[in-house]
Parts: sequence; structure tokens; C-alpha cells
Amino acid sequence: MQPSPVALLVALALPFLGAAAAPLVYRLVGERTAYFAAAVAAVTFLLLAGEYGAALAADPASSGLTYRWVPTLGVSLTLYLDGLALLVGFLASGVGVLVFTYSGGYMHGEPGQAKYYATLLAFMGSMVGVALAADLVALFVFWELTSVTSFVLIGHYQRSDSGRYAARKSMLITVAGGLFMLVGFLMLAFVSGQSAELARTFTLVGTPESLIANAEAVRTALEANGLLVPAIALVAIGAMAKSAQVPFHIWLPNAMEAPTPVSAFLHSATMVKAGVYLVGRTRPLLLPEAAVPEWTLLVATVGLVSMTITAILAVGATDIKELLAYSTASHLGLIIAGYGLANEFGAETGAFHILNHAVFKAALFMVAGIIAHEAGTRYIHDLGGLRRDLPITAGITAIATLGMAGVPPFNGFYSKELLFEATYEVAAHEGGLFWLFPAVAVFGSVFTFLYSVRFLMLFFGERPEGLHAHRPPLPMLAPPLLLAGIAAFIGLGGVAGAFGAEVPLVGGFLAAVVNSSALHALDHGFVYAVPTKLSPYFVMSLLTIGLGTVAYPFYDRLHHAVRRARALPATSPNWYYDRSLSVTNGLSVATGRVVHNGVFRRYAYTVLAAICALALGGYAAASVTFPGFEGLAVSVPLVVVLVTAVLGAVAVSRAPSHVAGVLTLSILGLMVAIFFVLSDAPDLALTQLVIETLVLVIFLLVLDKLPSWYGDLAGGRVAADAGLATAVGATVFVTVLVTTGASPPEPIAGFFVETAPVPEEHGLWILEQGGGSNIVNVVLVDFRAFDTLGEISVVAMAALSVLTLIGMRGRGEAETNTVAEPEIEAVADGAVPGGPEHADESGTTPGSRGDADGGETA
Amino acid sequence: MTASFVMAAVLGLLYALGTFLLLRRDVVRVVWGITIISQATNTYLVTMGGFAGSVPVLAGHGGHGGGAVQDPLVQALVLTAIVIGFGTTAFALVLTYRVYEEHGTIDLQALGEDGADIDGGEPR
Repeated sequence: MQPSPVALLVALALPFLGAAAAPLVYRLVGERTAYFAAAVAAVTFLLLAGEYGAALAADPASSGLTYRWVPTLGVSLTLYLDGLALLVGFLASGVGVLVFTYSGGYMHGEPGQAKYYATLLAFMGSMVGVALAADLVALFVFWELTSVTSFVLIGHYQRSDSGRYAARKSMLITVAGGLFMLVGFLMLAFVSGQSAELARTFTLVGTPESLIANAEAVRTALEANGLLVPAIALVAIGAMAKSAQVPFHIWLPNAMEAPTPVSAFLHSATMVKAGVYLVGRTRPLLLPEAAVPEWTLLVATVGLVSMTITAILAVGATDIKELLAYSTASHLGLIIAGYGLANEFGAETGAFHILNHAVFKAALFMVAGIIAHEAGTRYIHDLGGLRRDLPITAGITAIATLGMAGVPPFNGFYSKELLFEATYEVAAHEGGLFWLFPAVAVFGSVFTFLYSVRFLMLFFGERPEGLHAHRPPLPMLAPPLLLAGIAAFIGLGGVAGAFGAEVPLVGGFLAAVVNSSALHALDHGFVYAVPTKLSPYFVMSLLTIGLGTVAYPFYDRLHHAVRRARALPATSPNWYYDRSLSVTNGLSVATGRVVHNGVFRRYAYTVLAAICALALGGYAAASVTFPGFEGLAVSVPLVVVLVTAVLGAVAVSRAPSHVAGVLTLSILGLMVAIFFVLSDAPDLALTQLVIETLVLVIFLLVLDKLPSWYGDLAGGRVAADAGLATAVGATVFVTVLVTTGASPPEPIAGFFVETAPVPEEHGLWILEQGGGSNIVNVVLVDFRAFDTLGEISVVAMAALSVLTLIGMRGRGEAETNTVAEPEIEAVADGAVPGGPEHADESGTTPGSRGDADGGETA
Repeated sequence: MTASFVMAAVLGLLYALGTFLLLRRDVVRVVWGITIISQATNTYLVTMGGFAGSVPVLAGHGGHGGGAVQDPLVQALVLTAIVIGFGTTAFALVLTYRVYEEHGTIDLQALGEDGADIDGGEPR
């Protein structure tokens, strides 16, 4: 079943159109642009929701909509909507509505709002694009668009150093990761072309020829070429950079420089989910039917390690947004680990936790925004007992943090339980070292529990002296409240499930999401429930909660231990990032200083040497063969003329004076004119003669005004220059030899030569269409008339510039003088005549100096 | 087309001499270098048109009737190039003059290395 093309295209285009209109809307309605943007997001959401039925019935082999884009390269704009795409689309547009509404309260009085809303809408459009694009190139384009828009959003406070640092860091890391992903994509397209059963295609899913529809064949081809592991690794690096996985997680905590609604949107629900989405999307393509495939070893390990490390780092956080940032990286690790495991629970973990995490984390970011806004600080140690001032927010936080901690029956519990189940299955099946999977999962989750409870404790316990929070405005309170409501609804669904009741919507939708990244469609629907008996994975959950509760009293000790460990440079990816950046920066500055030092010689050296190297290297690479010597190939008079020309040039370079040089230069020019005569080019010869005369005159006129400076000729330098000159000469020699020896199959001139002397039936092309019989003239004034117009314009421009350079000198000089005057006065004390104003200005200076000035002026 | 060792040698020499001049400290010599290189390039382009044909003018206007003619496209290109080369040379020369007026020297080394200090200095 295909979705409606109009709905998808409009859903994709609308945010971008909204972004283009945002500055105008801002001029008209000011801060209420927030609600305009929310409306755009709502329409996008509804358009996607209207395709719900089509998305649930999507078929990887036929449901794509294809539009031509770059047909010669096989690149198309293919849109495909299935469960996973719909989930990400819903998150982008649905959380978008809430974030825009929230921004209406949060951004009140902030600078740069037009830019803010325009970029945020463009970001939302890019994210919808990532979800819908089923073509690798289109996916890459939207992927990088999210990086670029997020760069602008993170650097919203562009005057702050930390904002710029954070924006640059996120851009460098995510875009670099995207480039790895692009290589992986190209590899996939290349391999599909190598396979006998497939044609080369960039289409990921949605058409009969697409990669996922032929996953088995693509995998076989990848393995045959030995590219399966490289392809997985490259795609995974892209996803890890985007989803802030260890060691690329370092950009996410810095990205908290962005306004809080941006963090809630980009860093909980959307942008970081792009990486996870990619993993879920390519899972059926790259995950072979093996017990523990390479995919699992790579992806699940990265996910679990990231989940644990970033959870530990979250415990070391001192700022509530920093805590949430590390926690986000940790939960993304959980999702990636889920997708990495090769059983069906793995796919269920990924699908369900994308939803759960988006819901509770977006709510928590909004809570963090409320705290920062209303209590005036984000420092964890300064906060406590906020429940009295912010009772509703406290309720929201309780639902969201308990979900995050994985406490039954809150929403995060079910998806974490699925991860435990998936890891346990793998371990029970494989044994040995694979028991590390469930062990690490539990170990990491203990820290998740710890920081979740710590965040909740901001609202309980004793309120520090002087801390007072105002009630947040409704636009800031309603969105997190709604999200907490959804989280509670999902949680209650599990309770109902324990009694055998089916929850409407959630089950069917999630089954479709799971099927998007599963190898085989689920034969049952998606069901989840609070466990009623003691399964091994329920024991793992209880163990997590128990260990967490025991460890919580030592939270402060843990916190300080983590901070101490973080301070070691060798263990911190940040240290490596900063070092490599400063080294690269230094290198770039040093290169600039060497290459771009202002001395003309240096530029000429660089350019000429590079051209020679490239040309000669190119000949060598193409293994060009040299033609043999077959006689002079030119007539004797030509040889005489040419030798004279060379002698002229030699005389120019040895000229003792400017005048001598110009005169010998004329010898060269005249010889070239005779060369033109001998090679049957009368027009050229005439032009050359006229121009040569003019140039001679101009040279002499200018030389009259210039000093007779006859230069240097220091030994070492001359030798080096001669070396370069020889290299250039040799390159030209080889080039001329190779090109004159070549015989192209169809010279362009053939067209003119054939059409000029009349195919009878067409009449005389040159004579009648061009009105002349000199082919060169007709070409210049008729067939390439615009070229000639351009040529005349160049001459006119040169004339104007000459006029300006000579004629405007007086005026420019006068202005420079008036500008320069005060500076001179400031630098040189009494030596410069001051004038009456000057005396007045320095009137405050007591005594003799003012008098001295006056005296001099007088 | 037969490989032309004569043309290759001549053009190679012209380019080498032009390059050598291009690297001088005297701006005027740099302009000469550019002129020589552009002359050589024009010659090269015409060479690529071949020497086998006759003048590309049709019969009835003093040209030969029938037979192969020289490549007219190359000639049209070079004609444009000569005129533009003239414009560039004139501009370069006047720029040289202006540089001398502003900075009092036509030594590229001095202009590049300590352009800031050169103001008001005497011509050498």
C-alpha cells in the first residue's frame, strides 16, 4: 500500500516553507511566531498521521514513492513511510508542536527570535526528511542538513565563546561522522552494482530493486567482496557520531549551550535519534542470519559500553542539563544495543525505547528549562525541595524520572526489560563471554537509576536558603504535562496488559515500528505488560533497582570519584578533541603564513610548481607514450621566425634596462605576428601587429614615470628560479609534444570546415547566414558574438580601471590625509602642528605642553 | 597530426624564460614575464590548429576555393585572447605605476615582506 504522494510531499516541504516565511511572520506578529511555527508543526503531524494506515501496511518492496532527481547517476528522491519512519516523523513534528509552544514562554524577550524559529522549522523539516528519505543520497543530504541547522541552533548565543565552541564541536563531530556514513553508503551502492542479481542502486527501501527488498543478495555481495564489516563500521560511525556514542559523546554536553527548548527538541527527541534511526533502518540490511553476527559484536558492544560510560558520567554532572545530556547519550546507547542484538527482543527494545525515551526526556528537558527559568540556577547542589514551589512540575518529573530509572510500572521499565531479555537470550544461547552483555546492561542501569533519582530529589528534601521559584507560565507547563500524560498512559498500558487487556493504538503502532527493523515480521502483535512471575530478566530489573537503592546514599562520593576520574586528560576524549583541534588550527595558521606571506614570488612558486607536478603526474598516471621524432613538422621559414622569437625572449630576460627590455619584447611580438602570417591566420597577424604597437607605446609611457631599477640577481635565488623555470619549460615541452602528437577522432573544427564550404542543399552557412566569407570573422561577430561582447567589455573595464587608477589618485590621497591626520597627532607629540581645535582638546593638559602646541601653531 | 619537436622546444623555452621573469623582484619584469607567457600560449593554440590547411576564407573573397582550411575556431579564440591580453597588460602597467606612486618602490620583495613599513620610503 502506498501513502498519498501529496501528503508526504507537503509534510516534507511545509516546514521549509514555514522556515522561509518565519522572518516575515516575525515582523508581523513578533513573539507569537512561536504559535505560527507550532501550527506548521501540527499540520505536518496531522498529514503524517493521516498516512497511519498506509504506514502500518508498508511493504519494503513496493511502498516507496519515487521522484526523479539525478537520473544520470541513478539518484532519485524516494519517499517511504513505514512504522519506523512514522515514529521518527511523529517525534519530529509532534514534539515540534510542544517545543514551539514551550518556546513561546521560554524565549520571551530573547534576542534573535526570527532566526531561531526559522532555523528550528528548517531543522524539523530536515528531520522529517531523514525519516521519509529512502534514497541513500537524499538521506545523506537531509542528515547533513540536520547537522547544519543544529550548528546554528546550538550557537544561538553567537556572542558567547562557549556557544561558539559547542556549535563548532557538534558540527565537526556529526558532519565528520556523516562523511564516514557517506562512504558506507557509496560502498553499498557499489556492491549492489557488483552483484549479478542486482543493478546499482541508491534506493534503500521501497522499490522492488531497492537494497532492503533484496537484503539477502546485497549481504551475499558484501561478503563476497569482503566489505560487510567495513560497511557496518562506516554506517555505525555515522550513527555513533550523530547519536553521541562513546567516544563521540563529547559534543552533546557542550550542546547544552543551546536554549533549553532546542535541547529538548534536538537532544532528546530528534537529531540524536537520527543515528538510532539509521541503525534501525539498516538493521535488516546488514544483520545476517547468524547466531552472533559481526553486527552484534560491533553495534551491541558499542551501545552497551556507551550506555554504561555515559551513565557513569551523568552521575558526575553538576548541572541539570549536563546530567540530562549524558543521560541522553546513555539511553541512546541502550537503543543501539537493542538494535545490535540479533533476536526479536532487540528490535523491540530499540523501537519501544525510541518512543519512551523521547517522551520522558523531552519532558525532563522542559522541566530543566522551567527550573533554570524560574529558580535562576541549573547547579544541582543549589537546588532542592522545589516541590513546594512547583507542585505540578514535581509530578511531571516523578513520572518522567521513574520511567527513566526503569521502575515498574513506568514507561521506561518495559523497554529496559526488553533489553535485559534480549541480552539474557544471547547469553543463555551462547554462554561464555556473552554473559558480559546482561552483566554490563545491569551495571549501566544501576547508574541510570542513581542519576534519575538524583534528578527527582531536586524536588524533595530540604530547600536551600534563598532558593525561590516562580510558577512557570502556561505555555511552558502544558507541553511537559502532556508528555508526562503520554508516558503515564504507556505505563498504565503495561498494567492493563498484566490483566490481559489490550491497549489501543500503542501495540499496533509499535508492532509496525519493530517490523521496520526486524528480519522477520512479528507473528504476534507487540504486547508488553508488568511481569507477574519472576523471570530472569525481571530479576535483573529488581537487581538494578535494589543495587541502585543501596548505592544512592553514597551518591556524593560516587559523584566526586567520577569527577576526579574525568579530570585525567588521558581518559577524556575531550582532551584529545581539544588537542587535535589546536594542533590542526596551528598547522593551518602556519601553512597560511608560509603559503600566503604576501611576497609575489611565493605565490608564483606554489602555483607553478603545483601545476607542473599535477600535469606531469597526470601524464605518468595515464602512462602517456611519447611520439617519436618524425622530422621538423614545420617549414623552414617558421623555424627561423620561431628561433628569432626565442632569441628576443632571451634578450628580454637579460635586458640591462627597462627600455631595452621593452624594445626586445617587441621583437618577440613581431615574430609572433609573422608566425601568424605563416600559419595562415591573417586576422591574428593584423590584430597582433596593432596590439604590439599599442603595448609598446603604453610601456614607454609608463616607464617614463618609473624608476630605473635593475633588480637583484643574487646567486642562490637565480639558481632556484632557473630550476623552477626549467621545470615549467619541461612540462610545456612534454605537453606540446604529447598534444600535437595526438590525433583526436573528431576535431571540433570539422563542423566549421564541413559546413562552411556549402553542403549544396543548405545554402552557404557562413556566407548567407553570417554575411561574410572570412570564417574567423563570422565566427567572432555572429556565432560567438556574446564572447566578443565579453571581450569588448573586458577592454572597456580595463580602460575604466586605468582611468580610475590614474585619475582618482589625487582624490583618494586627499581623503587618506584627512583620515590619517588625527592618528598622526595621537602618535607624535608636539612635533605635528596641532591647529586651534587640537589646542582646545588638550586644554585639560596643564601647563607648558598646551602652550608649546599653541606656540608652534602660531 | 605529427608531433612537433620544434614547436615543443620553442614553447618550452618561451615558457621557461617567461617563468624566470615572473619570479623577478622588479614589477616591470614580472609584467614582461606575463606578456611572454601569453604570447607563447597564443602560439601554442594556433599550433594546435595545425599548419596543413589554407587561410580560413571562402572563395569569392580572395580565399581559396575548396580544400582543407586552418581551424577557424582556434583563430577566433586566439583573436579574443590577444585583445584581452592587451587589456591585461595595460592594466598591469598602470597598476605598477600606481603601486610606485603609493609605495615609492617597484620591488616586490619589499612590497610583500614589509608592506606596512614601505609607505613613504624612497625609490631605490
